[in-house]
Amino acid sequence: MTCGVSELMTFDKILTRYQDIPGYAGTMEEYIAHGGYRALPQVLKNMQPAEVIEAVKRSGLRGRGGAGFPCGLKWSFIPKDSTKPKYLVVNGDESEPGTFKDRMLIEEEPHQILEGVILASYAIGCRQAFLYCRGEFAHGARVLRRALDEAYARGYLGQNILGSGFDLEVILHRGAGAYICGEETGLLESLEGKRGQPRPKPPFPAISGLYRCPTVVNNVETLSNVPHILLRGPEWYAAIGPVKSPGPRLFSVSGHVARPGNYELPMSVTLRELIFEHAGGIPNGRRLKAVIPGGSSAPVLTDQHLDVAMDFDSLAAAGSMGGSGAVIVMDDSTCMVRVGEIVSRFYHHESCGQCTQCREGTAWLHKVLRRMEHGQGRKQDLDLLLDMCDNMKGKTICVLSDAAAMPIESYLKHFRDEFERHVRERACPLAERVEG
Amino acid sequence: MPTLKINGVEVVTSRATTILEAARSAGIEIPHYCYHPGLSIVGQCRMCQVEVEKMPKLATACNTPAADGMVVVTNSPRVEKARRAVLEFYLLNHPLDCPVCDRGGECPLQDYTLKYGPGESRSVEEKVHRMKHRVLGPHIVFDAERCILCTRCVRFCQEIPKTGELGVFARGDQSEINLFPGRDLDNAYSGNVVDLCPVGALTSREYRFQSRPWDLVRPTQSVCPLCSRGCNVVLDVRHRQTGEELLRIRPRENQAVNRWWMCDEGRFTFAYLHDPHRLRSALAREGESQTEMGLDDVLARVAADVGRIVQEHGQGSIGCIASSRHTNEELFLVRRFFRDILRTPHLDHRVRPVQGPEGDTSEDALLRRTDKTANSRGARDLAILPDRDGMDTPGMIAAAREGRLKALFVFEEELVRELPDLPVREALGRLDLLVVSSMFPNDTTVLAHAVLPALGFAEKAGSFTNFQGRIQKIHRALTPPGACCSLADVLRELARRLGWDLGDIEPERVWATIGEQPGPYQGIGWTEWKAIGPEGLLPPGA
Amino acid sequence: MMLAEGTHARLDELVSRYPEKRSALIPILHEVQAEVGYLSPEAVEWVAGYLGLSPADVLSVASFYDMFNLEPVGKHVIYVCQNLTCTLLGAEKLIRHLEAKLDIRMGETTSDGKITLKRMECLASCGAAPSIQVDGVYHHQVTPERMDALLDDLRRQ
Repeated sequence: MTCGVSELMTFDKILTRYQDIPGYAGTMEEYIAHGGYRALPQVLKNMQPAEVIEAVKRSGLRGRGGAGFPCGLKWSFIPKDSTKPKYLVVNGDESEPGTFKDRMLIEEEPHQILEGVILASYAIGCRQAFLYCRGEFAHGARVLRRALDEAYARGYLGQNILGSGFDLEVILHRGAGAYICGEETGLLESLEGKRGQPRPKPPFPAISGLYRCPTVVNNVETLSNVPHILLRGPEWYAAIGPVKSPGPRLFSVSGHVARPGNYELPMSVTLRELIFEHAGGIPNGRRLKAVIPGGSSAPVLTDQHLDVAMDFDSLAAAGSMGGSGAVIVMDDSTCMVRVGEIVSRFYHHESCGQCTQCREGTAWLHKVLRRMEHGQGRKQDLDLLLDMCDNMKGKTICVLSDAAAMPIESYLKHFRDEFERHVRERACPLAERVEG
Repeated sequence: MPTLKINGVEVVTSRATTILEAARSAGIEIPHYCYHPGLSIVGQCRMCQVEVEKMPKLATACNTPAADGMVVVTNSPRVEKARRAVLEFYLLNHPLDCPVCDRGGECPLQDYTLKYGPGESRSVEEKVHRMKHRVLGPHIVFDAERCILCTRCVRFCQEIPKTGELGVFARGDQSEINLFPGRDLDNAYSGNVVDLCPVGALTSREYRFQSRPWDLVRPTQSVCPLCSRGCNVVLDVRHRQTGEELLRIRPRENQAVNRWWMCDEGRFTFAYLHDPHRLRSALAREGESQTEMGLDDVLARVAADVGRIVQEHGQGSIGCIASSRHTNEELFLVRRFFRDILRTPHLDHRVRPVQGPEGDTSEDALLRRTDKTANSRGARDLAILPDRDGMDTPGMIAAAREGRLKALFVFEEELVRELPDLPVREALGRLDLLVVSSMFPNDTTVLAHAVLPALGFAEKAGSFTNFQGRIQKIHRALTPPGACCSLADVLRELARRLGWDLGDIEPERVWATIGEQPGPYQGIGWTEWKAIGPEGLLPPGA
Repeated sequence: MMLAEGTHARLDELVSRYPEKRSALIPILHEVQAEVGYLSPEAVEWVAGYLGLSPADVLSVASFYDMFNLEPVGKHVIYVCQNLTCTLLGAEKLIRHLEAKLDIRMGETTSDGKITLKRMECLASCGAAPSIQVDGVYHHQVTPERMDALLDDLRRQ
């Protein structure tokens, strides 16, 4: 539970420093008054687009949507000599189960995102950017609309921004409820007015993206980092946290913890510190049983892994992934077969249906786990599930199929005994299962 | 021109292409469903995955460019496991309909499963149930349970006739292909989706439950006779106790003529060949009515009448209106008989305005043409046209009405129906001799002194020349019923009775003579004609 | 199908924002659904005609997304998140409570046409689970008691 104060408890917040300002409503006026929109004028005046890309590259910023791809590198893939229009598309389609940090940034600090959008657009030569906001975020869309209007009114968007000669239109676009639209090419298809079905890659969006033009797709949190990198310098940023996963990260912690919420911390924080120091540990006298460290697509970890640092590489080495940074904590009242059923149900529902392995596999996984949870599992189902998962990985247009398979593999790896008991006893072996 | 290795075999390609197409060109099968060379590439069925050296993941052959020096393996254990898994996933919800499914026996799902798939099912889950045998339109029936969601049908309707009637609705394993409520699948090319569907999800109402593929005798190559495009087709015939029956017409690929497609009219219009009302014996006028008579006897009468009329009134008193429905060989013999033997200048084939060179145009943006006969071009090329001093069709009608034309041969044209603005009945009624050949009795045959039962296109061999000038062969798929016989036989017999020898009448022999004569087909002799393959021949200068 | 005055102008404006017309499809479907109540076949056909697409194409897109209702819904729509954290913290209990209280199953509408219940996937509000969304507004840490108060509010509207 609560322990001694570590230096991480006093981490100077960057992305969420506004939370310390009483009554902060995220208006443009307030954003500027508290230090916002200082990077933009400097960059427009003093830096060439190529220099902006270099700076972001040197900062080591990695994507915060789930893949952790180096942001500056992604920007540099945009061909400089292409005559086609270049597009920046902001991925505000936060849908990875367990994740709720982008919604917070959208609703509470929209101008930080916008400043990042304008800077990124400048860097890649984009004149028209799209803000794809998840359809369910009705309030978030309203806040973004207000922020855009403010920015246009004060000459931070539109023609000749701040007298620099740089023009930028930003279009707000709402989604309509599909997890797969968080996949960058699924998002582009949706933005083009079609079913959100991911595209085969190559070609990659940097070459052929929105309307088959060079496109960068960046997550909301990723772009929120950009103004800070350019204002305070890439070296400052690169020094925060681990060398290969620098910068602040927003961890959405939920589940069986005393203080669920979003925590901004460097990625050197360990799972133990995050859960027990920051999020208040596990209530009701219970013990930690399992924790998903990066959204439901991430393989599960156990109390054996609590000292893993929350950076992309350490988590990968531990057999999981950084993913979206969403940490779901499960105590010892949790039935892992039930968790398997719930998680597999999600992917079953969200598969776009293009690829045979995913369309049929996500459904089959769910059906088997549901049958097992209801006491009709068979001994051979466990190895069947593993073979199914193997057949679902690495062979589809996008990685939803892998995202469905890897968690199940990890539940079977770490909790095989529980699954076997559940099958043998034809019921959940947990004596007192507490769950709504 | 990338050169790559597939399963150790060197494959040289002639242009930028994909691994799948390169393999196809080398005769190496890479199983696939969603890919079709005539449609957009989606890469979603995942059947065509192969191993490519230096690529960590398996690659889909349909959309991976073939690169120089690439090393591809399609039969490694890794590929086999992946393929087997895809088939297992397909079979999870696929109904065990084989015994009642049209596709059985010519089904890529059956075939690939037998070759590459799992032997047993590992699933004990309830299959997803969907609508079955739902009529989508005038020709197509849909079974959603069998559908493997390759989306070829959806893409076809969007990309080829561009009518977009079909869509995939919902998502994931709830995805279902269907029509917009209240609409029909009724574009003019709907039948092509049956060819495209890899399984029995899309079937045709005409062919449903008619046969198993192993009951169809050898597929016969032919050409659709219903317009001047001449889509290349295959005829499937079944022998029943009651006789032979043409059950199905499918398109053959010919990139220059019809690509992979054909229109519904051509595909589904063939029942007339077995229509009980067809003329199966010759008829002769006796007083006011016509009676059935042996063909020989009818021809004997006709020959006698022709001889008499020529003697009394001269050669210019006989005319012939042949049809652009005839083969080149039949038309050549027509010309030989009427111009060279009977020496009449009055010969024509033009009955409709679309038969002129400028008259025949595209009816739609795809295949259909306004000239609804197969061989107007051939008739023109073979000069089934009046001499300088000969009469054309309207001329012959007028001459008949005025009594200047005494005998007229009308081969397979319904003049009464086709020429409503001319006094055809009156004209034909004045003739001393009217000989008509036709497949069916009609307003023109009832006026005739002699009616000859004609062959349908599936009952003869020969060639048509399409609107492009391409000579395309047809082959016999059905035995002619009753006394139906070819125009060639009729003309030879008539000539013989008049004391003349028409010469060889077999199609390839006829070309020996055609090739010797000046005209568009000069130089196409017997050898050249025999060498014409399924793709047809476009003579130089056509 | 008649739309309210001003809607057409709003749709024209929406279309004008995008380099390609078709991009406006999903925003247009939101607008039309908001006005008509749900995306009826007439509504889908109207949108198809407006954008020059086939009705099957538009229906194919609309039926892909969870937020588009192809059947009529009640005056109020309650989305209940059924994903992992919310379930760990009581979502199923809440769902059973709702079904009993309103005498309908998830996915159905009350017989007076007032309320539709729908299961939803992660609403991105896991920190305050169990979460629901009612007519576009989020509600957090929804216990059966808080749910009852909300239902009373809805009934009064």
